[in-house]
Amino acid sequence: MTAPLAGIRVVDLTMVWAGPFGTRMLGDYGAEVIKVESPGQWDLLRGLGQIPRNVPRWYNMSAYFNHNNRSKYALALDLRQAEGRTVLLELCAKSDVIVENYRTDVMDNLGLSYADVRTAKPDIIYVSMPGHGKSGPEKDYVAYGTNVEQLAGLVSVSGYEGGEPLKTGFSYGDPTAGTALVAAVAMAMRHRLRTGEGAFIDLAQRENLTCFIGEYVVDYSMNGTLREPAGNRHPMFAPHNRYRCAGDDRWVTIACEDDAQFEGLCRAMLQPELASDPRFATNAARKANEAALDAIIEAWTAPLGHYEAMYLAQRFGVPAGAVLTIPELMADPGLRARGAWHEHTHPDAGTWEMETPPWRMSRTPGQVSRPAPGFGEHNSYVLREVLGLDEDRIAALYEHHVTADAPDEGLHQ
Amino acid sequence: MAQPLAGLRVLELGTFVSAPYCGKLFAGYGADVIKIEPPGGDIARAHGPFKDERPDRETSALFLYLNTGKKSVELDLRTPAGRDAFLRLAATADVVIENFRPADLRALGVTYEALRAVNPRITLVSITAYGQDGPYVDYRSNNLTAFAMGGQMFITGTPEGGPVKNGGYQADYQGGLNAFSAATIAVLAAERDGAGQHVDISVQHCMAPLLEAGIPYYSYLGRWAPLRRGNHMASFIGIYPCQDGHLGVHVMPRNWKPFTDAIGRPELFEDPRFTTQADRVVNNDELMGELYAWAATETKLDVYQRAGRMRAPIAFVHTMADLLESPQLNVRGFLQRIEHPIAGAATYPGPPWWMGPDAWRAGRAPLLGEHTQEVLATVAGMSAAEIARLGPAVPAT
Repeated sequence: MTAPLAGIRVVDLTMVWAGPFGTRMLGDYGAEVIKVESPGQWDLLRGLGQIPRNVPRWYNMSAYFNHNNRSKYALALDLRQAEGRTVLLELCAKSDVIVENYRTDVMDNLGLSYADVRTAKPDIIYVSMPGHGKSGPEKDYVAYGTNVEQLAGLVSVSGYEGGEPLKTGFSYGDPTAGTALVAAVAMAMRHRLRTGEGAFIDLAQRENLTCFIGEYVVDYSMNGTLREPAGNRHPMFAPHNRYRCAGDDRWVTIACEDDAQFEGLCRAMLQPELASDPRFATNAARKANEAALDAIIEAWTAPLGHYEAMYLAQRFGVPAGAVLTIPELMADPGLRARGAWHEHTHPDAGTWEMETPPWRMSRTPGQVSRPAPGFGEHNSYVLREVLGLDEDRIAALYEHHVTADAPDEGLHQ
Repeated sequence: MAQPLAGLRVLELGTFVSAPYCGKLFAGYGADVIKIEPPGGDIARAHGPFKDERPDRETSALFLYLNTGKKSVELDLRTPAGRDAFLRLAATADVVIENFRPADLRALGVTYEALRAVNPRITLVSITAYGQDGPYVDYRSNNLTAFAMGGQMFITGTPEGGPVKNGGYQADYQGGLNAFSAATIAVLAAERDGAGQHVDISVQHCMAPLLEAGIPYYSYLGRWAPLRRGNHMASFIGIYPCQDGHLGVHVMPRNWKPFTDAIGRPELFEDPRFTTQADRVVNNDELMGELYAWAATETKLDVYQRAGRMRAPIAFVHTMADLLESPQLNVRGFLQRIEHPIAGAATYPGPPWWMGPDAWRAGRAPLLGEHTQEVLATVAGMSAAEIARLGPAVPAT
């Protein structure tokens, strides 16, 4: 069956995480994604692989890069040179979508604004995904990964009970924006198929992430109350926490949402009488006596493995989940059964396991369609086959270092 | 651009957060979204925070936000007549979104096979913690347990404080957004060749690969460090208290000069302890000391705007008050005032991304069962007598 995005060509100017994560999913689900890097300004993730610099083509061996850029082709092109810009516009003319995540002024300064690209391809779908968006008084402010969640409001409502605002464990705004990119492109494609019109899409990473805490915005605007971080507690339900298990730094989460689930937990703990204990018999009582209840539950979980506690609780219909580490995620029986990890071979980097496309689509499944491209790996394919440039012009591109088959290694030493 | 999802009809069997967020995005971008609520309504209606802290099924901020622009049909799918009415609606729909446990959906008789029998074009989008099969298929789950099983919880918090979830319902929202992206590409495929499919979203499968370089480094290099790093990835990537809030710095090597200028400490740029990023890592504690001392003298808006002008990566932790007052968000029209007949006016964020001035129209959340009569009559084509036979779950007009 044809992939859902088959026949769509994407020019990908994005680097690092948010953009590449999104365009990789476009590639996983069938689009032809051509990643454009300059010989002198190439993706930072190629340098973040913990690969020794004395290994030949080390810049093709970063697993961090190779996970986020699989299912793509690569073209080397210096957009700051006039001929590089010209070639890019020729590529846009044969493409459907262009995606960029530069600082807001970069594309305009390169002569590659939406208006510029439209002259080459009137119905282009042009996606910018900057931190703040392409307009407004803060548009030129620098905002990297951890800044996005601070600006989004998420950090202010995260943290231990009564504690300081707390960051997430990673640059959460990045994959969130990358996931949104797929929907934005799909919707614009639908619109183009129906009307013939292209689109300009402004995906401000902070705004996309603020939508993940929208209820706090609505609440504050109605009530004027700033809510404190609540840790692992829930405003209505108890128990709702994480509990220490056997082993070093191992935990299980348990969260009961009604009396039946709590009764199940009491039976799992072999303390059925707790379900009728007046301190815990109703949700309101459990919430009022939450600390005492947590101590009882932790006394039960403490000698158990975290998977063991989860299995025992789930046997009795109790929502419970182990707090999984990275090695545990890769071994997890549920993720294994789903086929979440897939053995993968890359010509320079070798064989290892990476994640499969996350959404299982019964009729149009995604797949890891090709390994991440080496730097400039598809120069010939793009310049000769997609664009049909003659040999003299291609030779001139190499001669003037507009393109290259290897990057300037000094950039990310 | 006109609304990019105009002309689509979506049925949402959505409970609480994940499926309703997916449905909300469909509605905002132009689809006709019919939310099927069980008798008494989506449980999000019973969740606070409520307007004026008074419980009322029409004034939950969580429900109001997640259900903008939808119609509400109150229908008991456990009854044969209710299920039949639902299938008549499904015959006219492009997409069904649901987040039941697979066994619970089967018990209602609303499987993909049953939907396809009445409408081969239909796309069924199922959102669960672990997917439609596998060893956890019958597990109970919610935002907290999914956040743990997705791996994000272990890396969040401090070593001494233990794993902690992020604010709100982050695992649920991730499920909702992933479902929406998957649904839109399924819609493209269905409009191309006229056939639907079943889209299976596992929140765990969506979350587990997202831990920055964690999975790649472990899988490829065998390296993994069991770290929770609190508010600091390093001294130069982290959160510092200031006089009226908290500042967030995220200094990449190229930003060190503008950063030291913006914080008024140009001598740090000359300081041999901090010359390169590697030096700043080696002397992490000392740099952290400098930055705590600096931040304590600053006020958040002042330093944010100064750093912005000087291209230094310093943001501040926006509270809800800061969001509502944000010059950036207000100029961009991201904050929208929406009236509701019972809850009154409130400010809502959206759209999540901008596709043109007319692409997004939020609208208010529906009252419980507000559109039951209208939808069953005009969409399902049911007579007044047929609607009456659905019983007391359907309020009279």
